[in-house]
Amino acid sequence: MLALVAPSVLFIALFFVAPLGLFLYRSIDNFEVPGWLPRTTDALSAWSGEGLPDEAAFRAVAEDLAALNGTTALPLLGRRLNHNIPGFRGLITGTGSRVDPARPGRMREQLLALDARWGEPVYWQTIRRERHRLTAFYLLTALDLRYAPGGGIELASGESAIFLGLLGRTLGISLVVTVLCVLLGFPLAVTMAGASPARANLLLVLVLIPFWTSLLVRSTAWVILLQNQGVVNQLLIGLGLTTRPIPLIFNRVGLYIAMVHVLLPFMVLPLYSVLKSIPPELMRAAASLGAAPGTAFLRVYVPQALPGMVAGASLVFVLALGYYVTPALVGGPGDQMIGYFIAYFTNTAVNWGMASALGTLLLLVVALIYLALGRVVGLDRLAVR
Amino acid sequence: MALPPHATPLERVSHVGVRALSVIVLGYLVLPIVIVLPLSFTSGELLVYPLPAWSLRWYREFVTGATWTHATWNSLVLAVVTTAVATTLGMLAAFGLQGLRTRLKPALYGLLALPLIIPLVMVAVALFYYYARLGLVGTFTGLVMAHTVLALPFVVITIAATLQGFDGNLPRAAASLGASPLQTFRLVTLPLILPGVLSGAVFAFVTSFDELLVILFVGSPEQRTLPRQIWSGVSETMSPAVVAAAVVLIAVSLLLMAVVELLRRRGERLRGVTRP
Amino acid sequence: MPNLSRCWIALAAVLCLGALAPEARAQGKLVVGNAGGSSADAERKVFYGPFATANKITIQEESFNQELAKIRSQVETGNLIWDMVSTTAINVATGCEEGLLEKIDWSKYFDTKVFRDVGGVSECGVPYLFVSGGLAYDGNRIKDNAPKTWADFWNVTKWPGKRGLLYRAEQTFEVALMADGVPPAKAMEVLSAPGGVDRALKKLEELKPHVHWWKNGAESINLLSTGEVAMAYAWNGRVASANKTNNLNLKMELGAGHVSGCQYWAIMKGSKNKDLAIKLIQYAVTAQHQADFVRVISYGPANRDAYALLNDQEKATLPGQHLDKASLQLGKLYLGFWLANGDSLLQRFVKFAAQ
Repeated sequence: MLALVAPSVLFIALFFVAPLGLFLYRSIDNFEVPGWLPRTTDALSAWSGEGLPDEAAFRAVAEDLAALNGTTALPLLGRRLNHNIPGFRGLITGTGSRVDPARPGRMREQLLALDARWGEPVYWQTIRRERHRLTAFYLLTALDLRYAPGGGIELASGESAIFLGLLGRTLGISLVVTVLCVLLGFPLAVTMAGASPARANLLLVLVLIPFWTSLLVRSTAWVILLQNQGVVNQLLIGLGLTTRPIPLIFNRVGLYIAMVHVLLPFMVLPLYSVLKSIPPELMRAAASLGAAPGTAFLRVYVPQALPGMVAGASLVFVLALGYYVTPALVGGPGDQMIGYFIAYFTNTAVNWGMASALGTLLLLVVALIYLALGRVVGLDRLAVR
Repeated sequence: MALPPHATPLERVSHVGVRALSVIVLGYLVLPIVIVLPLSFTSGELLVYPLPAWSLRWYREFVTGATWTHATWNSLVLAVVTTAVATTLGMLAAFGLQGLRTRLKPALYGLLALPLIIPLVMVAVALFYYYARLGLVGTFTGLVMAHTVLALPFVVITIAATLQGFDGNLPRAAASLGASPLQTFRLVTLPLILPGVLSGAVFAFVTSFDELLVILFVGSPEQRTLPRQIWSGVSETMSPAVVAAAVVLIAVSLLLMAVVELLRRRGERLRGVTRP
Repeated sequence: MPNLSRCWIALAAVLCLGALAPEARAQGKLVVGNAGGSSADAERKVFYGPFATANKITIQEESFNQELAKIRSQVETGNLIWDMVSTTAINVATGCEEGLLEKIDWSKYFDTKVFRDVGGVSECGVPYLFVSGGLAYDGNRIKDNAPKTWADFWNVTKWPGKRGLLYRAEQTFEVALMADGVPPAKAMEVLSAPGGVDRALKKLEELKPHVHWWKNGAESINLLSTGEVAMAYAWNGRVASANKTNNLNLKMELGAGHVSGCQYWAIMKGSKNKDLAIKLIQYAVTAQHQADFVRVISYGPANRDAYALLNDQEKATLPGQHLDKASLQLGKLYLGFWLANGDSLLQRFVKFAAQ
């Protein structure tokens, strides 16, 4: 019996778990520095970190960089260290292409002549700090933290420190979308649950239509509808509600409209299946026992509906967190969420470490929510007993 | 749900209110798709109402233009192969899981359901990173594997749900009447679970057909699928041809949705489930 | 009930079909990464199409928005999809330094002196067109009271509506400085001096709430023609092409100051079709084909001998007459600055736009 499951498990292990694991590992992987500056990292491990290192370290760096000259490793190392200090790239590539360890004389003088920055401790301290095979740098940056000059960790500031804000924005947008889905989805689900079988079927079909329509197509539809001369603005102008088109797209409003539209079926469907199983006699029983309609609703109906609401809301929230396509099409640059930056660091900045660090962050949040959800509803939502 | 005769004014108002809100929400769900479709029939080049005239030119472009036909073909081939692989693996897995009585079962279900939970952009990026090392970027095999992984949970869950309602006595009865295991499977089990298996297959097909992100990160220009082409269209020049392509996507999805619904009813009939 | 053995045969057939899928078509082929839209259309018409027919090969294109990362990731992971690429001076310089592009002695294949006016060839790239990016607006929507300077572009009270700007640091920073009163010829100097970038970002911050960022040329034209923006930074060739093909009335005010530079051909490092790519480049840079290109889309030719083949009417469509108002994306100052700071400025810009 287990043998039947084995192929699928192997598949998922090879083409899902392995890629994800490798990708997550990239957030702490630091093969570049110890790999390409072996002598330097050795020499610096004995260094205290104060002032400048000794001549041995200068010679080590000269030899390491000279060895990299002409290979692709040199600019790659430059780019890697540039993440820590902007401009490091120029220092590495500039030195690597010109340094000559065979030339007589102290390496320290030669390096300082090539680039004065070798006289600044911060560059040496960075290499020293990044000398291990694993690094915390990417994860720290993803949380807007950095190493303080005097040692220890501090909160980063300035224009690089956007990731906590990004996380906050992602959580905030997902929360708003979830709340809207609950507010809009609940009445619909209630109506569906109370309708006759034929009508309920019709309503179900109407909800399934957007559910089955691909995400891309639905987002595209909103792009068309919400533009300046799109249907919505034409309607508003035609009804006399406004004289000029209202910007409804490439901003937060458009994003909410589109994301709620995309995620609403994920709220309505689980909720409907739960509400359907609530016996209608309960409300009548409550009324017969003297409960006012409001009381009956709050104390009898809602508690029964709660598991469905929580399930739907959690699903919507987690899905919203990881969305990329809809915000990319419908939102402006100020509305992009974590997923966008994972793609940005992959495609545009080619900084796998940061892409992975952000991915790790996202996954952590998703995992926490699912663990919490698992307590409340039970993992068998997805499994079949 | 009709209002009971003893309903208070507050109840009446809230009842009407809830219904009205439901209608609005339903409109919000369905109308955007419906309103945008006719724009694909415009004779002009802009996506505005009123249409200057009705025309099939964009559908003609879709059917004759090399980019669109190539993309559609790619989508179809990829989806069909993915469906074959995913349904086979998923069916085996569902049977295997059903027969298991170990504590491993929820863990295995969790593992198989994992692709549903992880944000798709992460999966796509991770696969790109992984495939880059294996030399699978831009290969058909790589895409099939990726899509299969994404489709597998749907197949397993659907077929497992069908198996749940499956009466285990029937194959036993067949065996007692002298049928070999293969015969039992072919003549007794399979016909009864076929609607569920086909549903799972349809889910796999739609998952692959509609998929965008993995193609975006891992596919080569030659492997552009329909969604990939629409994505380019929306990001660059929004022409009615893009809407025509979107209409094709919608038509395929809705057709398959109808198929699944019919299969579900057939399955219920076969298993003797009466509708309430 | 469907016969199961037929089902297995069908399954096998389907899997075989999969094996026949796209990859299996191998013939003479060249894959080019370019900027898409009307630019690519013109290139196809004048260069790729005739060259492919004459040499019996297929040329496949993929469009991208000049992200160096697309070149980097292909070469670094060893998964080369493109053979050659049409890209900016900065990408050529950075790509060359990082070993992402083939270093070629172009003088072996053609006379490189004809490119001297536009900055000459580089180790890894050959210029093939000269483009000017400037202030554009729809002549049908803004009839009288047309904008004349970049300060006008920033003036959202007098000309209400959104503004389209290129979602890149280069070109956009120069525009911001021009709006801040820097003469176009001095824009690069000011930008590369200390505080230059901060000044540009500060000016952009003013306009940011009204900006609609565009990533490729086709988008910019779309934004203008649909009225989604009142004015935009756009490239002259795209504007001219859109007017011609779609009967639009888009106007450009190059006198306000424009950012001009070349687009280059470069060959991806390790491409198996290097020789074929060199042949295509040879084909594209001859005076004749350069002149043909100008006739289709009004980008300036990189080969100065092409001018002799154009008549006065054709020459009039080129931005040559406003060269005094150009911020040129050429030369050591420009390349040196972006080579050293490209990555970090890109990050700064993206983060700036994301907030």
